[in-house]
Amino acid sequence: MADEVIHADNEIRNIIQAYPPEKRFILAVMQDVQKSCNYLPKEALLGIAEYVGVPFSRVYSLATFYKAFSLTPKGRYNIKVCDGTACHIKGSPVLIDQIQNSLGIGPGETTADEIFSLETVNCLGACAIAPVMMVNDKVHPKVSSSAILEIIKGYRKEADHEE
Amino acid sequence: MIIIIDNQEVQVSYGDTILDAAQRAKIHIPTLCHHQAFAGQGRCRLCLVEVTEQGRKRIVASCTYPITREITVCTSTPRIEKMRKNLVMFLYKQAPASKLLQSMYRDYECQDNSLPENAGEKCMLCNLCVLACEEMGSSAISLIMRGTEKKVATPYNEASLDCLGCGACAAICPTQAIELTERDGYRTIWNKEFKLVNCQNCGQPYATQEQLAYIESRGPDNEMLHCCLSCRQKMTAQKIKIFT
Repeated sequence: MADEVIHADNEIRNIIQAYPPEKRFILAVMQDVQKSCNYLPKEALLGIAEYVGVPFSRVYSLATFYKAFSLTPKGRYNIKVCDGTACHIKGSPVLIDQIQNSLGIGPGETTADEIFSLETVNCLGACAIAPVMMVNDKVHPKVSSSAILEIIKGYRKEADHEE
Repeated sequence: MIIIIDNQEVQVSYGDTILDAAQRAKIHIPTLCHHQAFAGQGRCRLCLVEVTEQGRKRIVASCTYPITREITVCTSTPRIEKMRKNLVMFLYKQAPASKLLQSMYRDYECQDNSLPENAGEKCMLCNLCVLACEEMGSSAISLIMRGTEKKVATPYNEASLDCLGCGACAAICPTQAIELTERDGYRTIWNKEFKLVNCQNCGQPYATQEQLAYIESRGPDNEMLHCCLSCRQKMTAQKIKIFT
């Protein structure tokens, strides 16, 4: 366990040091950390602040400002359910309820096994195929309440397979 | 360069802000997020004025508008007053527990409406505390989150390693939104407790250990560092007396 922590620290350090220690690279570093860890750990923010020479509070301010960053671990599969006007009318609240019932997580939460996390977004810009849902980078169009369980099941299988 | 503010000729330098020029000429422009120690922030927007330039009129925030040409400024028109009234109403909705905004809400005769209020909130997010903390050399606090969740806080709302407990943030806050308590020789601020040091002269607690250590680390020892403000003033007065 202790080895793992040190390993993670090294990994983060490598990501940070891939950029020159300049203010303008803070967001780029944070994007890379977010991609690699699925969230921004406190050590990473402290590391960035120290490396670039910017107060920790400033880095934290940036990290909380952008929706693209998360300070709590996101699941391996991040489900984004569109809750814009068109999707809302086409039944996205039902989809959110379905996910909540099946995975036991609400918007902004992550399952205990860190496989799934759920968030709602205001518009994915694809109203013609409403209701839309995205899992990581894959778009699922015209999701029905029966299809959604199949989709989740598919990802669950994929996750089991990987392990 | 000479500009006209409220029919009065005012001498200005290139790049001065309208607010600076007006304050020098003793022309009052209401502000909330401005402090003479810092450059204008343009946050509260209360300092709106009407600028007439080559026959065109526009509304600008006087604290961030640099004067580069000869312009005519009007600090109060019906249109500006109406906008200020709205701004005060919105600022009050953000920080309805603030005595300052409560009294401004009354003074500007804002009409009650059904817009939701941030019940219990005193902070109107003017950012002056963040600037003060940065100026003191700590940068322990910052504006976090955004939109309706925006607030001033330490990272993760935890006791900050950088905080010296100097209380500059609480002192500069126009709405007394920052809680600072002193009890039994300890000061508590931003979820952190600091041991207070007593004045060598009068024995009254006057600063935190961290604050004094920080000042000592930055420069040569100052005999007056170990005395409180009022003792320092007395000692300085004594010295001047000897001189004269």
